[in-house]
Amino acid sequence: MKVFLAALVFAAITAVGVAIVLSAVQMPSYVAFSTGGARVGDPGNNLVGTDWNSTII
Amino acid sequence: MPSSLSKLRALSAAIVLLFTFALPAAAQLSFKPTAESVQEDKLLNALKGGDKISGRISIPDTMASSLIQPGGRDWRDFHRSKLPIIGGVAIIGMVALLAIFLMVRGRIRVDHGFSGTKILRFASFERFTHWLTASCFIVLALSGLNISFGRILILPLFGADAFSAMSTWAKYAHDYLAFPFMLGLIIMFLIWIKDNIPGKLDLLWIRQGGGILANGQHPPARRFNAGQKGIFWIVIIGGTLMSVSGWYLLFPYLPANVTTLQFWTVIHAVIAMLFIAAMLAHIYIGSVGMEGAFDAMGTGEVDLNWAKEHHSLWVEEEQAKGKAPSGTAPRAIPAE
Repeated sequence: MKVFLAALVFAAITAVGVAIVLSAVQMPSYVAFSTGGARVGDPGNNLVGTDWNSTII
Repeated sequence: MPSSLSKLRALSAAIVLLFTFALPAAAQLSFKPTAESVQEDKLLNALKGGDKISGRISIPDTMASSLIQPGGRDWRDFHRSKLPIIGGVAIIGMVALLAIFLMVRGRIRVDHGFSGTKILRFASFERFTHWLTASCFIVLALSGLNISFGRILILPLFGADAFSAMSTWAKYAHDYLAFPFMLGLIIMFLIWIKDNIPGKLDLLWIRQGGGILANGQHPPARRFNAGQKGIFWIVIIGGTLMSVSGWYLLFPYLPANVTTLQFWTVIHAVIAMLFIAAMLAHIYIGSVGMEGAFDAMGTGEVDLNWAKEHHSLWVEEEQAKGKAPSGTAPRAIPAE
């Protein structure tokens, strides 16, 4: 049981570590896949906004 | 008068000449541009499998230059219609097959009963590697199946909001647990490859159906029998294909080609379905299907009689090394 739990913990820690590293190393898609001239408004937060359920007035 | 006649002749000649040269022009004017211009259907049919119409773009995403790719329709059709059939047949078929096998054959018992003596089957690091890979695989499989079948099976049950939240987290888990899975796969390959090279003994094991089709038959096997070797290579080859294809899906700008990406998504999806089906059989035989088998990955120690029945040559090797209790006669323990 200890070995099983250790494996679970290791998997979780590795996954979180990879997520942190990739987030730090990689560019956001709106930077990687478009030039500045092609971006609309606030990059990554445009058109829809942060709240997808909000009603656009 | 003669001058009038000559003028008339000249005018007639001019009119004839005009018609002579103007008729082709008139014919050109009657030409219907839309009739002979490129029609979409003809264009799409003319484009073969991997062909596509590309434009020139200035943004960094080179894949955005693909304007029309007819192969994408086949790819979409595969994901919508063929993949669910392949997955359904493979997974539900395997579950049905195992259920029938359990009903017909029953649980495979230890013929001589448990001896009460234990032998170390898998060391801690081996079990750690197994459970690392297995736990990641289970999450990857469930989150992957959610991508293929979630919209059909889960969305109607939980509603859009709950399904969306669950799918978002499942996608994160799928992306990031892929890395410890790949790590486990590499370690597994390194520590078990030496015991999983196919040999002549495996042919004998296969000819006898592994001894699982009838009571009392136990073909000799070393540390891993042919069935376990099969699972090992399914995991290694299947896992490698899943890793390579998954790597392209995680980093789609690596191939930077829509056709290549579509190819790898198909590989990823088909291998995943077959992989899951194979692992269901592995999970079955390692738990419900065979008495005493789970202990190998549970505590790491198995009963000596179990080991002698399923891995007789390995037990002899371990006994020769002094790592296993030697030559104890099988002793049945009454069931509690």
